[in-house]
Amino acid sequence: MIDQANGRTRPQMSYFAASRRVFDLSLGEMLWSRRTIFMALVVAGPVLLALIVKGVELFGMSALRVNGQRVAGFGIFGVMIWMLFLRFIIPVLGVFYGTALMADEVEDKTITYLFTRPIPRGAVLVGKYLAYLACTLLVVLPSVMIVYFLLVPFAQLPATFGNLLIDMGLIALGLAVYGGVFAFVGAFFKRPLVIGLVFAFGWEQVVLALPGYLKQFTIAYYLQALVPHAMPSDGVASLLQGMFRETPPLAVSMFWLFTYLAGFLYLATRVVERKEYVLEQ
Amino acid sequence: MSNKTRYFVAISGAILAIGLGTGLVASYMGLPVSVFSSAAGPEELQYVPADAAVVAYANVRDVMNSELRKRFQAVEPSTEQKNEFEEKTGLNFEEHVDSVVAAVMPKDGMANHPAGAFLILARTQYNAEKLQNLAIEHGAEVTEYQGKTLITHQDKDTNDPTPDHMAFGFVEADLVAFGTIDSVKAAIDARASNRNIVSNNEMMKLVNEINNANAWAVGRFDAIADKAGLPTEVRNAMPSISWFSAAGHINGGVSGTFKAEAKDEATAKNLRDVMAGFLAMAKMQAQNKPGMQQLADSLVISGEGNSVALAFDIPAEVLDVLEGLAKSRQQGQLQRQ
Repeated sequence: MIDQANGRTRPQMSYFAASRRVFDLSLGEMLWSRRTIFMALVVAGPVLLALIVKGVELFGMSALRVNGQRVAGFGIFGVMIWMLFLRFIIPVLGVFYGTALMADEVEDKTITYLFTRPIPRGAVLVGKYLAYLACTLLVVLPSVMIVYFLLVPFAQLPATFGNLLIDMGLIALGLAVYGGVFAFVGAFFKRPLVIGLVFAFGWEQVVLALPGYLKQFTIAYYLQALVPHAMPSDGVASLLQGMFRETPPLAVSMFWLFTYLAGFLYLATRVVERKEYVLEQ
Repeated sequence: MSNKTRYFVAISGAILAIGLGTGLVASYMGLPVSVFSSAAGPEELQYVPADAAVVAYANVRDVMNSELRKRFQAVEPSTEQKNEFEEKTGLNFEEHVDSVVAAVMPKDGMANHPAGAFLILARTQYNAEKLQNLAIEHGAEVTEYQGKTLITHQDKDTNDPTPDHMAFGFVEADLVAFGTIDSVKAAIDARASNRNIVSNNEMMKLVNEINNANAWAVGRFDAIADKAGLPTEVRNAMPSISWFSAAGHINGGVSGTFKAEAKDEATAKNLRDVMAGFLAMAKMQAQNKPGMQQLADSLVISGEGNSVALAFDIPAEVLDVLEGLAKSRQQGQLQRQ
């Protein structure tokens, strides 16, 4: 690489240093983008819901009943983790942020500036991916924490805190895996958002409700096996999923989730390193 | 990284750090139950020794004022008998007693001396002078222990080499303790030294899980089973349950939950299966019996992993039907006679 100022060749940065530089640059961009407003609205939903539940319970009423039995505190928190975070917020954030990691640069025609820097191309994706992870975790995990402290009485804290940590770990793992998969989709396909939405809310939902081995090609199948809470029955889809639910062992789920993460992240960096991005005029 | 981004990261990090810090302190230092919540069981628990294996509570005032109790007033002791008791002791159970806490401290030989393992704490209005005079009349002694008045009674006629001498302690202006001399003294010590059941995290976890109940009991099943002197065959046949909790709410009807924690998942599953079998049989038997059918329908078995739970809800309407059935049966018997 020729340094324009003094005509000397500038040595290429190490993969790690380059990723860190891209991470620094991308974190601020991601946090203050319009997409973050969408994310804030999405994660504010459960907080608002928790406030409503708290308000209802303060008046001595029951916010949720299952089979005539009052569900309160940690039970409602479990339902929210399952239905709002794991089944909706995590995939949706994965799709919107993951697919945009490279696609936004292509669309804005700014990818050329990144690729002309003396850094490995793959480090651009890794840095952006880490920024995505930091950005989503910094917004989602505090939201989970607030929801937990709103819903679970202090007195129940010692008994339930371990499960909160598992839930938070699960959400972090979910964001990492979905982000990795959709980073590849964003780097490889031309219409990544549509493909991502079809995968997360079409393929995964349908396949999980069907018997057979196809569910092994989803992330939700392994992620739901790690949920410490009982799966709530919330309609026909859940009923079908419950009927055909085969919970893989913990080690198997962890193995496949980390394999998906590492595999798709590797593929995404390979695609970014090799693909010739043609910018539309 | 811009300042704006740094602030955002700092605020998010602070929320997480405060939450995680609070939770970790709560989980591992055992502070939160008493520090953060006043709802961690009744205050009387501070008098229950830390080694208690079972703790039970009843909000007597709630139960006495409940619609359900009014149904049973007809079978209660006559007013004459009650007045006699009130005259002698100055205690009117219905009006003066607010709540009762009972605890079991398992001891060797508990099967032969059950009284020695019990402690009862009653939150009540009492006339100490009247009670002391009555006790002295019946051969009891009045002593002091750690500044609290104890009425002790030693049974001198007994042939038992290790008799359980009973005591009645006025531990607070509106709280009395009843049990053996040792257990009442242990209760006073537990409060004074702050080493009581409130510092037993496992037990308090169960207490904290109880919601909206005016009577409950929690405890270690295995600790009781070991000391209760049950025959080996019976003990072997019993499921391996470590913890249990039962909570009920009594008003017009009765609703409640019984939870048990088995020692392993296989035992819990077997227990759930057995209960489900009994429930199915009960539902079959209850067909065409309106009251019984509603009662059977209200039973719900749940639980996952090591836990088993049975919830029931008997609304006032079901009690009406059951009462009606009992009355018609009584009338039928009278007609036949």
